Amino acid sequence: MDVWLMTRIGVYVCHCGLNIAGVVDVEKVAEYAKGLPDVVVAKHYTYMCSEPGQHMIQDDIEAQNLDRIVIATCSPRMHEETFRRAVAEAGLNPYLTEIVNLREHVSWAHTHEPEKATEKAKALVRMGVAHARLLEPLEKRKVSVEKGVLVVGGGIAGIQTSLDLADAGFKVHLVEKSPSIGGRMSQLDKTFPTLDCSACILTPKMVDVAKHLNITLLTNAEVTNVKGFVGNYEASILKKPTYVDAEKCVGCELCTKVCPVKVPDRFNENLTEKRAISIYSTQAVPKIATINPDYCLRLKYNKGVCGKCQDACEAKAIDFEQKPETVQVKVGGIVLAVGSEVFNASKMAELGYGRFKNVISSIEFERISDASGPTGGKIVSPKDGKTPKTIAFIQCVGSRDKRFHDYCCRVGCMVTLKQAILAREKIHENVRIYVCYVDLRAFGKGYDEFYRSARDKDIDFIAGLPSEIHSAQDGSLCFDVYDKGTNKLLEVHPDLVVLGTGLVPNNDLGNISALFHASRSADGFLLEAHPKLRPLETAMGGVFLAGACQGPKDIPDTVAQASGAAAKAIDLLSSGEIELEPLKAVVDKDSCSGCRICESICPFVAVEMKPEVVDGNERFRAEVIEAMCQGCGLCSSACPTGAIKIQQYSSRQVLTQVQAALTETCTEGGK
Amino acid sequence: MSMAKPNLEAREKILAKLRGRELVNCFQCIKCTSGCTALKLLELKPHEIIKLVNLGFVDELPSSDIIWTCVTCLKCVQRCPQKASPYHVIMALRNIAVEKEAKVPEGYLKAVSQILETGLIETPKKIVTRKMETVDRDCLKLPKINPPKENFQAVFTKTMEEK
Repeated sequence: MDVWLMTRIGVYVCHCGLNIAGVVDVEKVAEYAKGLPDVVVAKHYTYMCSEPGQHMIQDDIEAQNLDRIVIATCSPRMHEETFRRAVAEAGLNPYLTEIVNLREHVSWAHTHEPEKATEKAKALVRMGVAHARLLEPLEKRKVSVEKGVLVVGGGIAGIQTSLDLADAGFKVHLVEKSPSIGGRMSQLDKTFPTLDCSACILTPKMVDVAKHLNITLLTNAEVTNVKGFVGNYEASILKKPTYVDAEKCVGCELCTKVCPVKVPDRFNENLTEKRAISIYSTQAVPKIATINPDYCLRLKYNKGVCGKCQDACEAKAIDFEQKPETVQVKVGGIVLAVGSEVFNASKMAELGYGRFKNVISSIEFERISDASGPTGGKIVSPKDGKTPKTIAFIQCVGSRDKRFHDYCCRVGCMVTLKQAILAREKIHENVRIYVCYVDLRAFGKGYDEFYRSARDKDIDFIAGLPSEIHSAQDGSLCFDVYDKGTNKLLEVHPDLVVLGTGLVPNNDLGNISALFHASRSADGFLLEAHPKLRPLETAMGGVFLAGACQGPKDIPDTVAQASGAAAKAIDLLSSGEIELEPLKAVVDKDSCSGCRICESICPFVAVEMKPEVVDGNERFRAEVIEAMCQGCGLCSSACPTGAIKIQQYSSRQVLTQVQAALTETCTEGGK
Repeated sequence: MSMAKPNLEAREKILAKLRGRELVNCFQCIKCTSGCTALKLLELKPHEIIKLVNLGFVDELPSSDIIWTCVTCLKCVQRCPQKASPYHVIMALRNIAVEKEAKVPEGYLKAVSQILETGLIETPKKIVTRKMETVDRDCLKLPKINPPKENFQAVFTKTMEEK
């Protein structure tokens, strides 16, 4: 079988500045490549990806009549597309290009062993050339796409993405776990650095979502299953029962006045209680009542009891028989906007959160300061309901701490500045305000000006954190903190301590990551495809990221990223069809025995068994559904007869490379 | 004020005595000093010791009194967000002080020689009961405490040398 057409190969070794050339002797590698079979040209150049570098390849293709190109450079994830385009421009099929990774696999991995690295580079080039000789020309596949998008999470990120997509004419399915959209932002009082009220800027957007003809809003719902591939996803969405008919409920709240069961109010961070039937918040969208089945007497115990809400409801909207319902949607793209959670400060035992009532988290302060919150916007100490005379803010709780989360929460400093300003504005000169910090980070547009305006308001900034908070015998709080500026140990007796709790990944982010095949980074948040160049996408085609699920973010950054994710989805879906990589599985029908192993292991459901009549007997043969195949190669490895193979990676193509790898290195080439 | 000169060689010696180099991660949050038990007694500022070592201003440290005021309550070890642990640095400095034969507070030397001789940190003492009787182990018929075995001193001295 060792007969193949004569090919004319060009080998190009990239210096990548000093990234490769600083370790690997690129000149030697290029010289070595000249001696390899079928190699007509071998050159090295500072930056192959640059315009002159690409021209060099294109000129050689024409002048030397090259028909295979091997480029020894950085990872194919970086520039494979760049070089394929360049090769195609010169009139050659782009899939006749082979990338050899000399940067991530050689120079960066073996920085301290330049000689061995050079030998490894030669071996990899030898393998690349061997593979290149067997490359076959391929054509890209085109598949049609669904013009709808699934947005998961109805916080400000999901809201912004949905509105942008819907305005551009795309059908949006917005899925929210809670009974109302709005997310974290709806819990906030004012927003930094302009101090505009969160509800005033968010509520209109929430209403727009509910009214938009292109948006289907699914609250109290969760995505349970996702199938398919980029452009053609199919998702199952579980709508949990609310036990209230959404069509009939008018949001009058008559039911909540008669319900006898008290339930902690999650929207108010459990600072107050509401009833087992309740409306999520005053500005909830949709504004309909929901029954909590874990508390409702009728749902929890038996059908005979209570039912007071049913009697009180004039619209006859209460329906105890409501069942969960699963909705199937077909979409082209998915935007994950599932947000983050607030660090549970009781893990940091020394600060006494959970033990002392007057030690609260920053999100609890938001609820206390908010006009729609439990105190009607009056700042009080939770223990006695009195206006505090001394408030202490403590920064970096749970963040920048190797015991909990290594990263900076990116919002804590600004949140504290805002809350300190709010406290000063609401309690005037009658309160002493301390901010204990490590580094104060005010990095955004208008943020440092905001910091200065806080300093204008007579707030005491202490460069140092307390080690512990304890309670005196009379129940009052007390802590010591050493101030770097004055070299003094201060003894602070606060009536209210606000902990600058950071943002942490959602508890169910593990499930979400598995469901959508979206990887997570070391900090636990969802991982972007590239930290700088592809921050809005996951590695999974057609799955995008918006907001704090990708990393802690403030509102301006979240909204910017949400609009960006929407634009990315529009870019993907607007033409109605997308090009897919041509690398896919193909079946040699004559060798297929119809054993069905490939069908059973294909993760993309891309193999079908088709009946065929041979000599009067019916038998089954595997067939690949082109649009579904992702070219992962599982089937090819499992096939017992070798009938199903992946293009460019057939056994022959791979084994030739292995053979080349095992050929002893010699300076005059691998002949 | 004269210019301070860092002594990077001496700094490396201190770092070598620590199990890791987390010390250099200190971002001066001052939590250690805010909670330091010895600060209230004797003005020990753990965050300053860390910074002095990190910048290499270490010449004065082994002969200074402050490294001996740490009461080893280990609060700073527990709560340091960067696991930079001033306690371990102070222990390293104490060991260097002994190596350099710098002045070591008498109490510590007494404790060491007592351990060498008796194997005990505290020798049994006579106590006064509620009935105002003075008793010792013999009166209470408690077993005699044996002096440490022969090779104890050798092992103990070797451990100290290695550190």
